[in-house]
Amino acid sequence: MRDDEIIIRVAGAAGDGVQSAGQIIAKTFSRKGLNVMTYNYYQDIVRGGQSWYQVRASGGKVRSQGDGLDILIALNKDGVERHTNPDINEGGASPLTGIAIFDKSISGYTDRKVTYVPMPLSDLASKHSSFALMKNTVAIGAAMAATGVDFDTLSSVILDVFGKKGKVSEQNVSAAKEGYDYYLSNHKSIGKKLSFGNKRKYLIGGGEAVGLGAVRGGLKMYIGYPMTPASSALHYLAAHARDFGVFVKIPEDEISAINMTIGANYAGARAMTGSSGGGFSLMVEALGLAGMMEIPIVIYESQRPGPSTGLPTKTEQGDLNLVLGASQGDFPRIVLSPRDARDCIDLTSEAMNLAQEYQTPVIVMSDLYLSEHNETVDSIDPEFRVDDGNRPVDGEKDYKRYLVTESGISPRAIPGQKGLMHNEDSDEHDEYGDVVSDAETDPTKRVTMMDKRMRKLETFVRKMPPTETYMLADAEYAVIQWGSTAGVTEEAIDILRGKGHRIGAIEVNRVFPVNPDIGKLCSGKKKIIVVENNYSGQFNRLLKAELGLKTVLVRKYNGEAFYPSELAAMIEGEMR
Amino acid sequence: MVTVNDYSGKIKPDWCPACGNFAQLSAIKNVLTELKIEPENVVVVSGIGCSSNLPEFIKAYGFHGLHGRLLPVASAVKWANRKLTVIGYGGDGDGFFEGTQHFFHTAKRNVDLTYIVSDNQIFGLTTGQASPTSEIGFISKTTPDGNIEKPVNPMTFALSAGATFVARSFSGDPKHLQEVVKKGIQHKGFSFIDVFSPCVTFNKTNTYDYFRKRVYKYEAKDPSNFEEAYRAVQEWGDRIPIGVFYQVKGQSYEDLDPVTAEETALTERPYRKLKPEDFEEFL
Repeated sequence: MRDDEIIIRVAGAAGDGVQSAGQIIAKTFSRKGLNVMTYNYYQDIVRGGQSWYQVRASGGKVRSQGDGLDILIALNKDGVERHTNPDINEGGASPLTGIAIFDKSISGYTDRKVTYVPMPLSDLASKHSSFALMKNTVAIGAAMAATGVDFDTLSSVILDVFGKKGKVSEQNVSAAKEGYDYYLSNHKSIGKKLSFGNKRKYLIGGGEAVGLGAVRGGLKMYIGYPMTPASSALHYLAAHARDFGVFVKIPEDEISAINMTIGANYAGARAMTGSSGGGFSLMVEALGLAGMMEIPIVIYESQRPGPSTGLPTKTEQGDLNLVLGASQGDFPRIVLSPRDARDCIDLTSEAMNLAQEYQTPVIVMSDLYLSEHNETVDSIDPEFRVDDGNRPVDGEKDYKRYLVTESGISPRAIPGQKGLMHNEDSDEHDEYGDVVSDAETDPTKRVTMMDKRMRKLETFVRKMPPTETYMLADAEYAVIQWGSTAGVTEEAIDILRGKGHRIGAIEVNRVFPVNPDIGKLCSGKKKIIVVENNYSGQFNRLLKAELGLKTVLVRKYNGEAFYPSELAAMIEGEMR
Repeated sequence: MVTVNDYSGKIKPDWCPACGNFAQLSAIKNVLTELKIEPENVVVVSGIGCSSNLPEFIKAYGFHGLHGRLLPVASAVKWANRKLTVIGYGGDGDGFFEGTQHFFHTAKRNVDLTYIVSDNQIFGLTTGQASPTSEIGFISKTTPDGNIEKPVNPMTFALSAGATFVARSFSGDPKHLQEVVKKGIQHKGFSFIDVFSPCVTFNKTNTYDYFRKRVYKYEAKDPSNFEEAYRAVQEWGDRIPIGVFYQVKGQSYEDLDPVTAEETALTERPYRKLKPEDFEEFL
């Protein structure tokens, strides 16, 4: 672990305030100009269980939740026991090597090679409030003192977080100060060299970033049924509906959600829906409707481990087969998979335009890991050129909604336009939209229309930007990843490079159609290692099918994200 | 000046001769003409079934979607552009089997659209299976020994769900049908119209004659009286009432939602430009 980075973990039961405490710490660091990444380990439970929230911060790059643990804030005895145990098995998380801060009433824990800092958290808190969770704030104050961050920044964050609660925010600041001062008087700094600055960074969650990107991309309606981990985008948009002028609706089910999204886009309002795999499964039939009618829709699909209800609060990349295969028949679909929060903003804005341009479903695939963690971005560009694609003018003579073109893209009239009335049909139809499935069954027209629709994908592939790479130029070994594993893959590459391996990565955030340049990037490599957060290597299979690549697979499917050293070791194992 | 010809599609309906759907197509075209609504401002959304082919036969904006899913599409069209006249049109299988949850919630939301169900008490397009409104004892391909499942009463269902306009008519009485459709389209809020629409090919029980013998024109003393309406719609057997049973004024969903409530349609509003202040909460 580097001297210029720190990892703090808050551990406790659900309902103990673990997440709120972690978020205050994260924001304190992002306001001090550090790069921050958080990791939320929680269960499908409102109270009880064992959850923890980790904050990693550094002046240097922070691309995953990281290895190591410097400071533990344990809100119960179980937290002390678990996170100081060298045999910790929380899906790859590191045990503590630094200090453990907890209330002095906790006793009887196993003595291990860490620095125990039992503190009168409750006593100090009770000087300011009888509210039980106030002791967390004392612990936050102590942990922040240990890192050397100034109290004013911490206090500004607390005031903002509790801002609307008046007296409560003052009490929290006082409680934090008690912890901060107590720690400085009785204990020493942990000796990290964190490069604090004064340029605040944006700290944003992946779900919020998707919402923000959609609004920048012209979103006017978001219709979604609640499902973890897609709900963070829904909550963000609902909270800002009036301000952004976005109509937000929870309908009766996901079938309704996608049909509404189709109806809105048909009528000319950019609309989007979102869910996880379970909800997406209910959307399957209507996905094909949008493909057949050539109506633009954007679907945010945030994955969690299946099958069925699976692990609702854990992460996985196991829905690719579902998304690629959903709905009967062949129709064009575009699948994007953001790598990080910045990609969530940029690719979602782009998806909003791509759907309009190609008049077909665009699916933005994220996962719990990316949707539910916060990370810093240096800047957010408010500018984006919204493009409505091919639209006819009112009164166009002999208007053909599905005009056969070289690109496959036809002029899309919307209701209200004079003289362009037509029918859009789930049945196969001709250029005018007139049905050719019943009395007028016409095999030639069917082929013409299939070819026209599918040509849109060829047009899209021709215009795809080059796939991004990391340290690939001189690499003997190539790792291919998709979506949210980009950051941790880069860190694993750094570890392996440090050991002398010539290895690089191909980072795929445009998953389907497959960019043919991936094949070229792989040529001449000794070995191609595909990294995936799922059981069967779904993207690996796609790459083999589309590009004929010979690959080996590195996979993790226990519900947790890869850790850098863990992934480096797994990749190294495949290099032999 | 809008004429009924403006609504005439170039494709002739593929329904069986004397199918109840013809009268409904005519009624819709005549009412839209009478109300001087321009065809470009009309969207007809349908599901799947014989009746659901209707958007192909009317020159307006048509949306022939999925079985049972016409109401979510129709609702969102209205929310996107509240200046449009939105008509949902489908069959009893479409609306009361696969579309049940959408029917219930759209009625409850009071979205300003007109939902007309061509109720023939059978599946026609799939050549004659029992439907949710088939009567007990009804013999069909799927109920060779007679239907044992009680039929849905779409009227009590719509009332229970909170529809603000609940009516019934009969394809064998085009004048009445047209009057009811006109009231439905004029009603601000969710209008539900169940239309007895005999399937001349597969339903040999609920024929034109069957209904001619039984239907009578019901006049509500007070259309806003829920209890009276709820009692009236349950009459079935030798005498079956048709007419507007229930109508109350209420705010539609798009009036209540602060985003759609603004006068300018969502589709006509400029795209929201982001400003740096929009990201400040993340600092």
